[in-house]
This record gives sequence, C-alpha cells and structure tokens, in this order.
Amino acid sequence: MFVLKPQSGVPIYRQIRDQVRRLVASGQLAPGAELPSVRDLAVRHAVNPMTVSKAYSLLEAEGLLERNRGRPMTVASQARNSSHLSKRLQQVQPLVEQTVLAAKQLELSETDLLKSVRQNWENGDE
Amino acid sequence: MNDMAVQASHLSKSFGPKRVIDDLSFEVSRGDVIGVLGKNGAGKTTLLELMLGFTPPSGGAVSVFGHASGQLPGGVKSRVGFVPQQDELLDQLSVADQLKVIASFYGAWDANLIERLCAEWRLDPKARIKSMSVGERQKLSILLAFGHRPDLLVLDEPVASLDPMARRQFLEQLVDASADGQRAIIFSSHIVSDIERLANRIWILKDGRLDWHGDLDSLKESVVRLHIRGAAQVLAGLSVPGALSQRHEGAFATVVVRDWTPARQHSIEESAAVEVEVESLGLEEIFLELHR
Repeated sequence: MFVLKPQSGVPIYRQIRDQVRRLVASGQLAPGAELPSVRDLAVRHAVNPMTVSKAYSLLEAEGLLERNRGRPMTVASQARNSSHLSKRLQQVQPLVEQTVLAAKQLELSETDLLKSVRQNWENGDE
Repeated sequence: MNDMAVQASHLSKSFGPKRVIDDLSFEVSRGDVIGVLGKNGAGKTTLLELMLGFTPPSGGAVSVFGHASGQLPGGVKSRVGFVPQQDELLDQLSVADQLKVIASFYGAWDANLIERLCAEWRLDPKARIKSMSVGERQKLSILLAFGHRPDLLVLDEPVASLDPMARRQFLEQLVDASADGQRAIIFSSHIVSDIERLANRIWILKDGRLDWHGDLDSLKESVVRLHIRGAAQVLAGLSVPGALSQRHEGAFATVVVRDWTPARQHSIEESAAVEVEVESLGLEEIFLELHR
C-alpha cells in the first residue's frame, strides 16, 4: 500500500503520513478501511516500528485514523467528508511549487507548463 | 525495575596517550533502536565494549540496567545479548552443539525461535563451524545473541559479511524484536541505509565524541542543503550560521547547514534579499557533510 524510501531525506514517518493523507483524500482508503498493523508494516518494509507508530499517532491526532482496541487502525468515518477541496489542494501544493520553480528555472512559459500538465493528466486517465 | 537500559556519564577511555572515548554522557531507554555511525577508528567498538564492561573506563561511569558495567550481576548479564565484530565461535563444534553450549548459559532459551531462524537463514545445524563461510559464521553469532531474548541487544558491525538477502532477513528479525518496545538495541554499521531503516536514534561518533545524537527524524530535518538565488555580490558575502559547506557560483549558492529550522528560511530571505529552496538529505549525505 505504501511506497517507502528510507534513503530519502524525508523522514519515514512523514512519508507514511503524507501517503495516508493522500489515499484518504482521494477515497482510495475509504472510511472504515483497515490499515496494516504497526508490526506488519514495519517488518514488511524493514523499518523502525516506532516510526510507523509515530505516523499513525499523528494521523489519529489529525482525526484521519481511529484506534480500535485489539483491532487494526481504521480510517475515521468523518475523514473523507472533512477533506474539502481546499484541503486536498493543499496536499499537492508543495509539488506544484516545486514544478513551477523548475519550470521558471528552465524559462518555460506558463502556457508550456499547463500544456504539459494537461497532457500528463490525460495520459494518466488511460 | 530500572527502565534505563544504559546510562553513561562523562565516560572516557584512553589507550596510552590516545583518548579514544572522550567525555560521553548519554542514556538508552527501552524501545530505543540506536544506530552508531562513525569512520574507522572513531571509537565505535571501544564504546560498545565499555558499555558491556569488557574494558574498564579511564574516567566517568557507565551502567546497564542500573548496575555498573564492570560488575554486572549474572541476572543482568543474562538480559544482554552481544554480537561482536570478530565472532567467538568454537571451530571444532557443529552449529547445533554451539547453540547448545550457549543455551546452557541461560535459564530462558527460545529454542523454537532459533530453530525457525536456522531454517529461514539456511543454517544447517549439522554443519561444522570450521567449514562455514564468514557470512554463515556471522549469522550464527547473531542467533547466539538472540536466543535468550535479551532486553539489551548490542551489535558491532553485525552485517558486514552478509549478502543483501541475509541482511534483509536479519533486519526484519531486528524489527520484529524491537516491535514490542520493550528492548533496547544498539548497533554500529557502515551500511548507512540499514541504520536509516532501523534506527530511531542516531549517534555520530567523531574522534571519540558524540558529534551528533538524537532522533533520526530530527537529524534529517536539521541538516539540509539550501539552494540560494540572489545577486552575485550578496551571495559572495553571504554567511549562514551553522554552515557545513558552502559553494557559490554567480547568482546561485548551495549551503549545507546544521541546526536548521523552517523559520530560518524567512530570516535568510529577508535579511539578504535572496530566494531559498530547502533540500532534505539522506543519512549518508548528512554523515559525509558532518565529516567534511
């Protein structure tokens, strides 16, 4: 479910947190969906369990996940409703900023960039 | 019960005139997985040996579960597992016999776990130790330190001779051992990517001192590379506090800084009228930068 890159400069707990946020915002993780246990996720990716549980705890504090006694954590029932368009947009904001910066450094025009975005968008639908 | 697995205060060790460990103070709690990084000769092995009482300190003190490391009672020793850099296997024995010898030292020995790991790690119980490869010997040394399910596990370069498959299996086993949060694990390795996966805390040893110690996450957030754009004459005179390395070329500068906080971005941008982009770094790059 997750793509974790321990060698990246982004701490692992943030990679997990960001991916859960995106999966929930997009509805790929629906309310009530179960997440892998801390131990399973840690062993599967060979990463520190405390890192995984730190990510889960942060997501719980955000109201995105719910802790259930003796059962895996689940996506909170309110999660999808609470993520309005603006919130979901916020999550791609850093990627957009990076892309725009790169485009400016390459002296691309706004039209060039938007055209490329549109092409990628359409390719992604196939 | 003392929850602090290891405590050191002003710990020092000299060999002749050479100070190998220089005034270290630290604590290791249960649940911690500590990755020890350092160049050859930085003092990693000496530090681990001091903690376990194999060599007396020249100054300061270190204790394990509340007992001075030099005089650990049997009850505390049986809660510690150690994988030395050079294995201490008995060449004339078979794998099964060596396991039996070590198991006999301990009241509690998880024979099921060891049997399962022997199978998973493809260690033949009947194999003679003298005919085994370095990698196989290393696997066996690790099993010997695991079998009594120690509360403190200390590993000195445990994976140097393991192939990538065996290393991954070993890492998974360590993750499993650490998952209940009851154990403390301290391991040194030159394989930075393993430390990056497994450790939640990092010690960077440099000339016998802890050059950096703390959460891996904070380390990654506090040592970053800045890409700065601005007027050439501004960049030429730019001085960023905590800079580890700095390069500039015309209207661009890259600076690696320590003690970074996001708030510093605005203060640099406003004070020097430049644009700053922050790039986060992997542990290997951070390690290299801290050793420039």
